[in-house]
Amino acid sequence: MALIDKICTWQRLEDKDREEVMENIASHEDWKSCFSELAPGLLLFARQWVHSAADAEDIVQEAFVKFWRRNHNIDNRPLLYAAVRSIALDFIRRDVRRARREAAVFAETESAADPQFELDDDTQSALAAAVDSLPCDQREVLVLKIWNELTFNEIARALGISQNTAASRYRYALSNLKKSLQPQ
Amino acid sequence: MNDFAELENELRKLRPALASPFLFGRIEEAMDCMANGRRGDPARQPERSPHNWLSLGFGLAGAAVLVLFAVVKIQWQRERPQTIAKTSPTSETIPALNAIENSNSPSKFIPAGATQVVYNARDEGLHLPDGLERPVRRVRYQTQQTWRWRDRETGASLRVSYPTEDVVLIPVSGQ
Repeated sequence: MALIDKICTWQRLEDKDREEVMENIASHEDWKSCFSELAPGLLLFARQWVHSAADAEDIVQEAFVKFWRRNHNIDNRPLLYAAVRSIALDFIRRDVRRARREAAVFAETESAADPQFELDDDTQSALAAAVDSLPCDQREVLVLKIWNELTFNEIARALGISQNTAASRYRYALSNLKKSLQPQ
Repeated sequence: MNDFAELENELRKLRPALASPFLFGRIEEAMDCMANGRRGDPARQPERSPHNWLSLGFGLAGAAVLVLFAVVKIQWQRERPQTIAKTSPTSETIPALNAIENSNSPSKFIPAGATQVVYNARDEGLHLPDGLERPVRRVRYQTQQTWRWRDRETGASLRVSYPTEDVVLIPVSGQ
C-alpha cells in the first residue's frame, strides 16, 4: 500500500506537454521490428507498477500505439518510456482499489505472480528477487539502464529528474543489490 | 563504478520475460484501426472531443430541466402554498411528492419526485491549488439525477435523467 501511495504522488507528464514534444518528429519505420526489439524492456519497465503481465501488456500497447500514431522518431526513446510510465500511473489512479488489492495479494503470494525474468538457475532467481526488493525509484533507473540500455541523460528525461539524480539512484541500486546478495 | 562491473554483467544475463504473441496481434489491430481512422483527416484531434460535446449536451439538458422544474414548482406553490413538501438534505433519494395527488392545479405535468444517486466517489489525492498555502484533498463524485413529472388526469409521466459530476476540495491540516 505504501508503494502505491508513493507511486501516486510521483510527478507525471501532462498530455499537452507530451503532444507538444511529439509534434515535430516524424518517422516511417516498421513498427514491428522496433517493437520486437523494445518489447521485453518496455514490459519489464511497466511491470514496476503492475504485478500482472497482462496489465503490463495493456500499458505498453497503449503507450506504443500512441507513440507511433503521433509519428515519433523511435530514437526518442525517453519519450516512449515517459509515456509508458505516465500511462502506468494513470492505470493505477483509474483503479486504486484494484491496485491495492493486487498489491496485497501480490505481497501474500509473491511466488505465484507472473515472473518478470526468464530464470535459468537459483543464482538468477536470487538476483531477480533482490532486484524486486529494491526501492521503486532505484529499481526503475536500474531497469532503464540495464535492460533498456538508456543513457543517464535519457533516463533523466524519461523520469523527469536530473542526470546526477539518475546516476546516483543507479549507484545506490547496485550498492543495495550487492549488500543483499552477500552471504549473511 | 568498477566495483559493480561484475554485478552489472550478472544483471545483464537476466533476460526479461518476452511479450506474449497476442500482444503483437493486438497492436497490429490497433495500428490498422488507427490507419483507417486517419485516412480522411490526419489532423490530431483530441480523443475526448466527442465527450466534451456529450457533456455539454447533458449539461444543457440538465439546466433546461431545472428551469422547467423551477417554473412548474413556483406555479404550483402559488396555487397551493400550504402543501410545500419538505426534503432532507442528507437523503440521497427524495420521496415522491404525495401531496400533489389531490392537487387541483391546472398544470398538466406536476413534479412527482427527484432522485440523486451517487454511483462513484473517487479520491484523487492531495493537491495544492494556486493561491492556497495548505494542500487540499480532491474528491470527485459522479451522480445520476432523475426528475419525474406526472399528469394527474391521464397518468402520463415524464422522466428526465442525466449524469453529473462534482469535485469537492477538502482542506487538509497537518498533525
